[in-house]
Amino acid sequence: MYFFRSIAVLSGKLAAKLSRLTGGRGSSLPGVVARRIYSRVLQELACQIKKEIIMVIGTNGKTTTNNMIAKIMQAGGHKVVFNEEGANLITGVTACLVRSASYTGVVESDYALLEVDEASFPKVIQEVQPQIVVITNFFRDQLDRYGELDKTVALIKNALHKLNDITLVLNADDPLVAQLGQSTKHKVIYYGVARQQNWERPAIQTRESRFCPFCGGELHYHYYHYSQLGDYNCLQCAFTRPELNLEAINIKTVNGYINADICYQENCYHLSLRAAGFYNLYNALAAFTIGCLMEMNDAIIKKGLDRYTPAIGRMEHFRYQDKLVLLNLVKNPTGYNEGLVTLLAMPGTKDVFMAVNDNDADGQDISWLWDVEFEILASLPEEAIKSFTCSGTRAAEIALRLKYAGIPINKITVIPDLEQAVPAVLHGKAKMTYLFTTYTALWSAQRILCELAKKEQFDADSMPSVS
Amino acid sequence: MLTVCHLYPDLLNLYGDRGNVIAFLQRCRWRNIPVQLLEVNLGETVDFNQVDFLFLGGGSDREQNLISDDLGQRKVFLHQAIEDGLIILAICGGYQLLGQYYRTLENEVIPGLGLLDYYTVASTKRFIGNVAIELNLDNQILKVTGFENHAGKTHLGNIEPLGNLLSGYGNNGKDGTEGARYKNVFCSYLHGPLLPKNSVFTDHLIKLALCRRNMNKELISLNDEFEKDAHKLMLSRLKLSGGD
Repeated sequence: MYFFRSIAVLSGKLAAKLSRLTGGRGSSLPGVVARRIYSRVLQELACQIKKEIIMVIGTNGKTTTNNMIAKIMQAGGHKVVFNEEGANLITGVTACLVRSASYTGVVESDYALLEVDEASFPKVIQEVQPQIVVITNFFRDQLDRYGELDKTVALIKNALHKLNDITLVLNADDPLVAQLGQSTKHKVIYYGVARQQNWERPAIQTRESRFCPFCGGELHYHYYHYSQLGDYNCLQCAFTRPELNLEAINIKTVNGYINADICYQENCYHLSLRAAGFYNLYNALAAFTIGCLMEMNDAIIKKGLDRYTPAIGRMEHFRYQDKLVLLNLVKNPTGYNEGLVTLLAMPGTKDVFMAVNDNDADGQDISWLWDVEFEILASLPEEAIKSFTCSGTRAAEIALRLKYAGIPINKITVIPDLEQAVPAVLHGKAKMTYLFTTYTALWSAQRILCELAKKEQFDADSMPSVS
Repeated sequence: MLTVCHLYPDLLNLYGDRGNVIAFLQRCRWRNIPVQLLEVNLGETVDFNQVDFLFLGGGSDREQNLISDDLGQRKVFLHQAIEDGLIILAICGGYQLLGQYYRTLENEVIPGLGLLDYYTVASTKRFIGNVAIELNLDNQILKVTGFENHAGKTHLGNIEPLGNLLSGYGNNGKDGTEGARYKNVFCSYLHGPLLPKNSVFTDHLIKLALCRRNMNKELISLNDEFEKDAHKLMLSRLKLSGGD
């Protein structure tokens, strides 16, 4: 066993090296190779983790939440292994453990932090037993790969039933997630966001589920944050948003950045997020909850969150000449809508770039673009967005979507080739450039940006602050 | 004034199919044809006599169960409206609902509205991918493109298909048909959504609606560059003529 494991790890590491030499990213390849050589490699590496294994699942926010948790754990002095680039199929999970292992197949980490793709979760837990499972949200995503959302939720529910001795960390604001606390009987910690006072954001109506997961009755909402996230109760049965263990209150936003107080067990801690986008409040809350579960003090948790820098495309910042450039990965309507809300909250005029590919990893079906509320862009003052550049293998379709959303066609340029489209949008006349891309367009777009613009590291002085 | 009715927009709203409603409305507005949208949800009343274009999309199994009673109560009125020539577009689950029945993998027979002559049988293989079909609209041959994603196989009885398959699986993966057509009812599995990039088809539906109200059905031509590009790209992907 030891021999096979070590050969598998060596081969995986070698595959990673070769892949990098030939220009590949190699984030899952070592896993593919190692598993082919020894099918028990993941199981044997994972069981060496000294303390706990934490998994993060859900549609949006997995990579960000997992990376935030990693920063917190590292700030607390723990040795962690995590799949930071978001390779979250069973091969990607294997690859991350292979990378962390010594050449002889020994893993020395205290914690494994693994984001896991929803469809892969049942397979992964057959080989790796987690102690904590974080579930962020369930939105529609890449339907041509998974079938319908209800099936994804059922898949997760069945998988959770098979696990013993775990703690669930659940987003109470999402009824599709919160129901899993009641239907699986595991120990649960709930987090959520309080009603926002004086908060102005465009009304985006697309919601996943206004109906009770238990009885099918209509859910009544006291308030919404976005999509189906909010404070709800069923009008027919007893299902209601669970009582929160950890709550974000006093939420304020400055230039798209969030400030909030996080309350846990009688204490509240002030938090200024260094990532744009309201949804990052949820990601930070989930990570904060893990910090609390690990009994870390708030100063260390905050230090960890401060060290978080966005992974590729997760609101990555660049600077081109004197302009701010934001790169925003979009995979589904909810994520895209939140991206649009973030775009609108940013000060100054914008040039907007939208790339849509339809390769397997993006989802071949691009119908979901019609569930995104691009209409909110058409209601802006004429000068707010100076231009739209549409790119990617389905560039014409995103142009079409914008046209039907009411954007004047003379503002829309179609440049399918990313190599030409990215420089074109950077040369726009607006004060900032905002780039949306689907998954497979992200890597090229980021590479081109890295060549042309300066990748920006966060420094505390440039951050908006609210005291 | 034309009235567009979107049935159960909150429940039957998979795969961006509301784009069909957006396309119909916008192409009317761009031509200054007065148009309004009625969104009809569970329990809300609607007089189909006042409607010019009815859209019925698809939902997940759970959602389709939620609407089945409500829709059943509208059956008589819907039947009358169909015979009166109401223009209806039904996509995927909405298409299946208008038929005789849906038989699940467990052999359970879920009755449909029984308004049109076809039935659907669940299968373990899902038909997923890009599609092109050819249809005949008033002797005008037209290619239409979209994306299908369905596990149900539909078998037509005494009813015409919407079109013949050029590429993809279509109704059942066997007989080369796609969708169904009866009077002014157009049924299809095509998402994409169907109407935005198939603007000639959309304009045909608008003309039918105008004609039925004895309104002037001459349509001003629009700049359809993006529509044509998106449509042509798919045709050329599928290696069909009409693409680039």
